[in-house]
Amino acid sequence: MLTGMDIGGTNTDVACISDDIFCVKVPNELGFAAALEHVPAKGRLAVSTSQPLNRVIAGSPLKVQSIIIPGPGLYYPGGVSGAINHRGDLVEAVDPEEVRRILEHNPADVLSISAKFSVRNPGIEEAIAEIAREYYPVEKIAVSHVLGRLNFPARIATTELNACMKETVLGISGMIREHIADFYYFKGDGGLVAPGLAHQNPGLLYNSSSAAVALGAYYLSREKDCLVIDIGGTTTDQVLLRDGKPVMERIRINDRNTLIESVAAQSLPYGGDSYIGERLEPTRIGNALAFGGAEPTLTDALNCCGHSIGDSARSLVMDPDIAYEAVRYYVSLLSDAVLSYKPKKIVGTGYLARWLIPLLSRKTGVPASLPEHGESANAVGVAVSRVSMTLWGHFDTGRRRAVINGELVPLPAWNDDDDLIAACREKVREMALRAGADPEDLKEICLVYFNSYDVVRQGYRNETIADVVMQVAPGITAGVL
Amino acid sequence: MTTGIVYHPAYLSHEQHPAHPERKERLSYTLDQLEEEGIWDDPRIIRITPAPANEADISAVHSEEYITFLRTMSRTGGYIDFDTNIPPGLYDSARLAAGGAIAAADAVSNGSVENAFALVRPPGHHARSGMGAGFCYLNNMAIMVRRIQKNGYKKVMILDWDAHHGDGTQDIFYNDASVFFSSIHQSPFYPGSGYISETGYGEGEGYTVNMPVPAGTTDVSYRYLFTKVIEPLAHEFRPDFIAVSAGQDNHFTDPLTGLALTARGYAEMMQRAVRLSGDICEGRLVAVLEGGYSVEAGLPYTNLGVIAAMAGMDLTGIREPGAYETLLSGAVDPSAHLQVIETTRDLSAILAQYWRCFRDLA
Ligand SMILES: [Zn+2]
Repeated sequence: MLTGMDIGGTNTDVACISDDIFCVKVPNELGFAAALEHVPAKGRLAVSTSQPLNRVIAGSPLKVQSIIIPGPGLYYPGGVSGAINHRGDLVEAVDPEEVRRILEHNPADVLSISAKFSVRNPGIEEAIAEIAREYYPVEKIAVSHVLGRLNFPARIATTELNACMKETVLGISGMIREHIADFYYFKGDGGLVAPGLAHQNPGLLYNSSSAAVALGAYYLSREKDCLVIDIGGTTTDQVLLRDGKPVMERIRINDRNTLIESVAAQSLPYGGDSYIGERLEPTRIGNALAFGGAEPTLTDALNCCGHSIGDSARSLVMDPDIAYEAVRYYVSLLSDAVLSYKPKKIVGTGYLARWLIPLLSRKTGVPASLPEHGESANAVGVAVSRVSMTLWGHFDTGRRRAVINGELVPLPAWNDDDDLIAACREKVREMALRAGADPEDLKEICLVYFNSYDVVRQGYRNETIADVVMQVAPGITAGVL
Repeated sequence: MTTGIVYHPAYLSHEQHPAHPERKERLSYTLDQLEEEGIWDDPRIIRITPAPANEADISAVHSEEYITFLRTMSRTGGYIDFDTNIPPGLYDSARLAAGGAIAAADAVSNGSVENAFALVRPPGHHARSGMGAGFCYLNNMAIMVRRIQKNGYKKVMILDWDAHHGDGTQDIFYNDASVFFSSIHQSPFYPGSGYISETGYGEGEGYTVNMPVPAGTTDVSYRYLFTKVIEPLAHEFRPDFIAVSAGQDNHFTDPLTGLALTARGYAEMMQRAVRLSGDICEGRLVAVLEGGYSVEAGLPYTNLGVIAAMAGMDLTGIREPGAYETLLSGAVDPSAHLQVIETTRDLSAILAQYWRCFRDLA
């Protein structure tokens, strides 16, 4: 039994998949425990938390103290002394007194610590974090080396976000663990991760709803090349699938590049709960009239056009002309967005898809399908996902130093490039198994990047440096395909 | 301000043999530094992927005999001089490096970037029309200059600040008045040319200027030469384009040379070149990487400094790690600057025959 749970803005969707698919929608106002009651005791639970995390980021009232150790290179005002170079050598020392002074004089809600090249040697960040624990509890401190890859400005931005999200994620984990000991988080790239790694790097979980819908739509429809349109309460998301996989991108938050990878999605700010006054507005006031709300929404407008969704009689207080115009406006906006993808096929998901996707298909001339259980495609996608991970390795025989995902590890012995690649393949396999991956999902481990070169001093090449990026790709677990 | 950086993953792969100074390791640390600095995400930076130079661009500079020789030898492997052999596949590597210089020239010519730096390997400034030398096969700078002229910018000023004299480039433009060649280099040193008396020939007489400096020369002398020689000449010549042979082997940690320039010195020198191009030719400036063999302590910081200066970034943090400070004091010769001042006086006297700016001084 595979269970997926997607905590949305107003509802939590749960999907249980064995031979059958069972889906349920639980309003969030009933509390998280109400949703967890639908989770069977047996089998695997995966949870997508994009809504709570999106809220933390969107309106974060948290004040972040960001300690930056820039060393030589591009300038960062207020930088703290200390430096690591490209080979991971400590080339300038940290001044603990300076760090204490800063921690004392600029107290904030959470703390972010980022040193240039810390992914080649986490020592400086660890030393500063140790001092910082006298000033901040550990759940409010985030460090940058766990992100594993180069790109200092993006690492700073991501670490600051992680500092803001960390406590929320730990809180959600605590609530889930009251009911069920073992579970996974669903990531923005469409894979699963063990809670421990997510607590270190909560950015992995950010913006996961598009990935959930993409995986769910593919699982339910088996359309490999299509545009998935998910009509939610407040937004309508579009995700392109190529060869059964969503297109990925590195996202920007608050105008800064981050290292957060997530499924590329376009979003219209309208959905079933969008309020209609004189016209369709990109705002949610509450539920549709047909679902006990106080103000008319796009759902009510569909009822005025002849459908019967929920308690449709309640919708009919709307002016029919305004209702018709709202639906026409929505379909034409969405149709422009859809046509820019030039899709061969549309797959519609979400509660209102059944009513709106046929209108869209007629307007655009693109054939559409509405898979069964499509109203819970998000939770289905979370349920059928698999454990995925990326290994960012840097190996330096001269320094006798190896770093994997920002942590120092014993340097493996290798004779040639193929040896090292094989060792990394084994390492990522072992890491994935430890994180609970299904061995069937580890048959394909892809080498994303490899570069190695000799270090030559006094005319002799006696050292080698190699960079390896290896990935267990996100996607649908082999067990259900 | 947008700066183009021309780079191709294949620039890492050329190697004469694995222990040669001009090897893969040369750019690897620089790329780490650029990646870590988030350079490729910066809105001021545009990455340009080059294509190999075509035959027409190459034969605008090199003789047919030499091109045929290179192409034939790079099938089997061959030999030019003690420092410069021809590994199999070399011709493709060299064409891609020249193509990088061309891509930089085109991007600045058509205004898609304000200035551009071609991070190419192998280098080019010792290559003459008919023969390679000193790790160089095709003269990337010369091929770039001819392309700039083809793009409609007739007068080009070359500033070659590699530690070695750019003898190949000088030779190619020695009798050409449309291309002003200037070079600051360590002397006496390889390749043994670049004296102040070499000033051009025929039509090109007065359009070559050499500024030899002794071992131990520091940032101060480079600043001095900009003020006393390069800037006045540029204002009088009024080029349509400034092209820099950006060798990075003047760095105080370079194992092959004896100069004592710092990363900050490089950045400030490039900053002055940027300002000069802004004053004279609407900012049209291209730079192409030449030498530079301090792979670990020098190149990551000097290349970043050059890029930061071209893109108008804050240079406050451009420096080497503190761990190298003692190497700097060992490389500096306090008497070098006096020699530079004396040589500059002699040079000014020679140049006064051709350039008013030196007569006014006298
Ligand atoms: Zn040189």
